[in-house]
Amino acid sequence: MAIPKRLLIIDNGSYECRVGWHNSKKPDLRFRNVLTKPRKDRKKDSNQLPDSSATPATIVDELKANAEIQIGNDITNIEAVRAHLKSPFERNVVTNWNHQEQIFDYIFSKMGFDGETSIDHPIVLTEALANPNSCRRQMTELLFECYNVPALSYGIDALYSWHHHQQQHKSVSDALIISFGYNTTHVIPVLAGKMQLQHVRRLNVGGFHINNYLFRLMQMKYPVHLNAISSRIEKLVHDHCHIAKDYRDELLKWAQLDYYEAHIMKIQLPYNQVTATNALLTAEQKQEKRRELALRLLDIKNRREREKLQEDEDYLLVLRKLRQLHEQQKLQKFERALQQQQVANLEELDKLIGTITARIKRVKERATAQPKPSKQQDKLDKLPKPPEGVSQSQWLADLREKRDQLQQRKQARQQQRQEQAKRHTHAAQERMRIISTLARSEKRRKANGGDEEDDGFGMNDNDWDVYKRINRYNDDSDSDAENERMLEYEKILQHYDANFDDGSNNAAMQALIAAENYQLHFGVEAIRVPEILFQPSMIGCSEAGLAELIAFVLKFFTGEEQQRLVDHVYLTGSCAQFRGLKERLAKEMLELRPFQSSFAIYESNDPVLSAWLGACLQANGKRFSESLTTKHLYQEHGSEYFREHSASNIFYPTPKD
Amino acid sequence: METTSVQKIKRSFKRPFVFPKNCVYRPLRQIHNIERNQKLPPDQPTYFTLNAPPSLLPAKKYSDISGLPAPYVDPHSKLRFANAEEYGSMQQLPSDIINGYLTLRGFTSAVG
Repeated sequence: MAIPKRLLIIDNGSYECRVGWHNSKKPDLRFRNVLTKPRKDRKKDSNQLPDSSATPATIVDELKANAEIQIGNDITNIEAVRAHLKSPFERNVVTNWNHQEQIFDYIFSKMGFDGETSIDHPIVLTEALANPNSCRRQMTELLFECYNVPALSYGIDALYSWHHHQQQHKSVSDALIISFGYNTTHVIPVLAGKMQLQHVRRLNVGGFHINNYLFRLMQMKYPVHLNAISSRIEKLVHDHCHIAKDYRDELLKWAQLDYYEAHIMKIQLPYNQVTATNALLTAEQKQEKRRELALRLLDIKNRREREKLQEDEDYLLVLRKLRQLHEQQKLQKFERALQQQQVANLEELDKLIGTITARIKRVKERATAQPKPSKQQDKLDKLPKPPEGVSQSQWLADLREKRDQLQQRKQARQQQRQEQAKRHTHAAQERMRIISTLARSEKRRKANGGDEEDDGFGMNDNDWDVYKRINRYNDDSDSDAENERMLEYEKILQHYDANFDDGSNNAAMQALIAAENYQLHFGVEAIRVPEILFQPSMIGCSEAGLAELIAFVLKFFTGEEQQRLVDHVYLTGSCAQFRGLKERLAKEMLELRPFQSSFAIYESNDPVLSAWLGACLQANGKRFSESLTTKHLYQEHGSEYFREHSASNIFYPTPKD
Repeated sequence: METTSVQKIKRSFKRPFVFPKNCVYRPLRQIHNIERNQKLPPDQPTYFTLNAPPSLLPAKKYSDISGLPAPYVDPHSKLRFANAEEYGSMQQLPSDIINGYLTLRGFTSAVG
């Protein structure tokens, strides 16, 4: 069968998807294999538009849809939606077909298929090693039924990459491929050009776990800088993490203080001076704000008063005119006007006039009076002065003593708390004793029907302190008042006493310290984080580490086969880019191989793209059409069937029950 | 998983096609269960037989906070630590951070 058309090569990785035509030098499209759904409210808006299939409307629809679901490179700010990113993958297997369909839509429209009636090009697609049959079946159905592709070819990324590598090592047909993925790490033995599927092993730790581990570590080291950290994790991992040749050795070096000082990496986060001073001046600023608010309220009140005054004056004028009418003996008119104003008779009118004039007078008086200084202003100006009859130094010494007492009490409480937390201490036993006494008295009360003689508990407020004492996680909440008093003392002491120093009362110093608080220290993490590939137990994963896994896989083979495998150990995948990985593996291999035996480790010269390039190579090969599953074959053999080739999985039919 | 909420976009190159509702999203665990009931030949390698074996080497102990080799465990918080200085700083940690470190290491206490 002839394949006249160009082929579309898709390396569908769980981290990044690479798409391109088989005759181009590198992928035309690369994007993070994720999509993000919009918030609900925005979706509702677009749903209200009438849905029609007319051509101009479809374009509008499409624009809307693009605005709705963002995929891959269309995600404008990936940090902002980090929590809402969805992937079609679980580990390295596609499990969410709605998401996969969105991704395909994105791929095909980016590759210029908009306006065409079907995807009239064969597709080469990578899939997970030993991809479950049900997953492949759905992929096949999706591509043939939904996109109407003419033919398909599935392959394993690691093997494609190996084919690409073989270009430089044409004579080599045996290898131990170690493929470092985003979710998984594979150890793949290849003998005589054939993958030994039954002896392949997969470690479910990969780049994602490395990123996540660093993220969690930094998050707990610097809980304050959570947001600033999350956007820098990947960069930190890519640029500064490396694999230690001898992990324990390096750790012991880090344990030395001078080594730490010399090698620690400090990362300065963006630090805003203004916000820092804000933080320092909160108390004063709060007061400032409060004063502003009070002024505004006063303003409103004044305005209202003025309006009322105006009203009153107008009303008074009317009433005065009425009175004049009476004086001028125009009684008929007067009666009518009285009714209009709802006033009963002359006396009442006089009384009304009296009260209103009084009110106006009162308001005017208040307005002209000197505005009283506000209480807060007062408080702000007044720093406590030494009481009369006591010298300042005496007073200060007194204050200092009080402050020290408070501090001691605080420390004692903390001590007690710590002791209580442990068993077998006096404090803990005391606590248990109090609890049991309380429980006993509770029971007794219940047994007596609730109305026996009162033991007087609660008559004294201090009785309730027992509960505070037995509260193991006793917070300092009850000593808020004490804290406040301590702050006050410190303020006074700072004001009067030049010698008083409670650490950092120098503003410049404080600013400097604040800036330093915005630094991340990145030291041991550089080797600790990628080390999880070799020691998955560090993240609570019970699987064997990479070195142990290699030894495990090698044991399946005879001594001669083992030698053939280790003579060409091939590293590929994005995580193979870690500095020091090759050296570390060499050290581990040396340990696990027999004494004085040989081995060789080769790194891929393009660990990221070699899978895609390898797939291109194969697509350009002469016998490529033999590895295509055509639509005809699909209709003939069902959706599970695919044609095997040198880089593919091995087909086995799902047994019918 | 809210898979049904995704509305399909009309595209010229697509034909109308939908998966049966129960096939749109299947977690790996479910796929594993289905495969287990399929009575495959016992030596047939599948995705789930290729998992790495559990490690037989004793897990090395590292300090939860600094990552240094840790000979000690705080019996109260169960955190591992390497030296006295670290122990001191540990005492100030709030409980959520302590729990964070423990879950990161995959530690779950028997009591809960």
